Amino acid sequence: MMSILFQNFSHMAVEVAFALIPLLLFFLFFQIVFLKMPREQVLNIVIGSILAFIGLTLFLQGVKAGFFPAGELIGKQLGAAGNNLLMISIGFILGFAATFAEPAVRILTFEAEKVSSGSIPRMILLYTLCFGVSVAVALSMLRIITGWSLFYFIIPGYLLALLLTHFAGPSFTAIAFDAGGVATGPIAVTFILPIAVGAASVVEGRDPLLDAFGMVSLVALAPILSVLILGILFQKRGEA
Amino acid sequence: MLPVVVVVIILQFSILHLPWEVLWRFLGGAVMVGGGLFLFLLGVQIGLLPMGELIGSAVARQGKLWLLVLFGFILGFVVTVAEPDVRVLALQVDLVSGGAISRSVLVYTIALGLAIFVALAMLRTVFNIPLVYLLISGYGLIFAIATIAPPHFIPVSFDAGGVTTGPMAVPFILALGVGVTAVLGGKRTTADRFGLVALASIGPVLAVLLLGVIYR
Repeated sequence: MMSILFQNFSHMAVEVAFALIPLLLFFLFFQIVFLKMPREQVLNIVIGSILAFIGLTLFLQGVKAGFFPAGELIGKQLGAAGNNLLMISIGFILGFAATFAEPAVRILTFEAEKVSSGSIPRMILLYTLCFGVSVAVALSMLRIITGWSLFYFIIPGYLLALLLTHFAGPSFTAIAFDAGGVATGPIAVTFILPIAVGAASVVEGRDPLLDAFGMVSLVALAPILSVLILGILFQKRGEA
Repeated sequence: MLPVVVVVIILQFSILHLPWEVLWRFLGGAVMVGGGLFLFLLGVQIGLLPMGELIGSAVARQGKLWLLVLFGFILGFVVTVAEPDVRVLALQVDLVSGGAISRSVLVYTIALGLAIFVALAMLRTVFNIPLVYLLISGYGLIFAIATIAPPHFIPVSFDAGGVTTGPMAVPFILALGVGVTAVLGGKRTTADRFGLVALASIGPVLAVLLLGVIYR
């Protein structure tokens, strides 16, 4: 079991090294030319870089050897079951779970509660965000079933978002667009995307490149809408 | 990570029939993904982000606009190359396309697109061009190019715009915004902050669409 998970681990380590080297060279240049920081601070940067290197290697290896094959098989079994309603509802549940687990989402809801001094309750915002992503993943499953173009969702979606910003108030608008950014975090991308790819590969007439991808952009869009709607509801309540 | 694992285990005992070997791979993968992400974020917090902020303020103190824009361009590029979400998307596209769209080409394309738009976003702040103009012309360009790009590239390009707002890029880009405002001495922070991230995610979409046009 362990040997499968660590297959080609050294390849991944080399790939991650190449990912981090440009950033470190950039730092090194500034340290020599501009900053000339004391040794203590340099040590922190070295430790941080080593941790980031080990962490990113483990993360990507876990994604490649664990999440991708398992997610694809889950998607294939869901797609092959031929039960459209089941596929959409499982998509909904997976979207909820993935967003609930996303670290950046937790940080955003916590910050929003703090900045608004409690008037935007953390848990309500969290559930609103999770609900938005759930709908997005359910719609992605619908796309895989029907083969509808991504544009049918993206264009009306962003037009609606623009319209809603006029009613939601500035603080909810800022939170809403940030929410779109944090929802497309490492858990949603690593966990749900391979499931969508697997499903699209077994549904008749679908192409994963055409029908499974695009999911991330829907996951970025839906929480914007759900948080803006929450903002409008809050404003209505404030007026009453 | 826990909610995801719980859902998969519940599904396994209800409607899925994953072979045990695959379920173990998933659980082992979950430990690696969760632990790896934790270590990575810790490393970014301890070493990488403070360094980025130090360099940002050092560059801002020079008070030279071209230096700041160049710095934004290079930082945008090197940070995106190391962004976990971007790597995952590129890996998945590489596997699904059977290597036809290689992951390194995709990563560097996304990084270049982001870098150019971070630089543009910084210039916007300096010259006080309304954000709406740039957003509308950016999206207008996207839809124009989308009509000539091969259909296979379109969903991937929109996803590329989403993954750049990951755990690595966002703190760095926000720190950059603070640097710009420091140079200008203004107090328009929140709007500029938001503008930087929103504009930055247009770049990768455009870049991947153009990659598709070249590939055709």
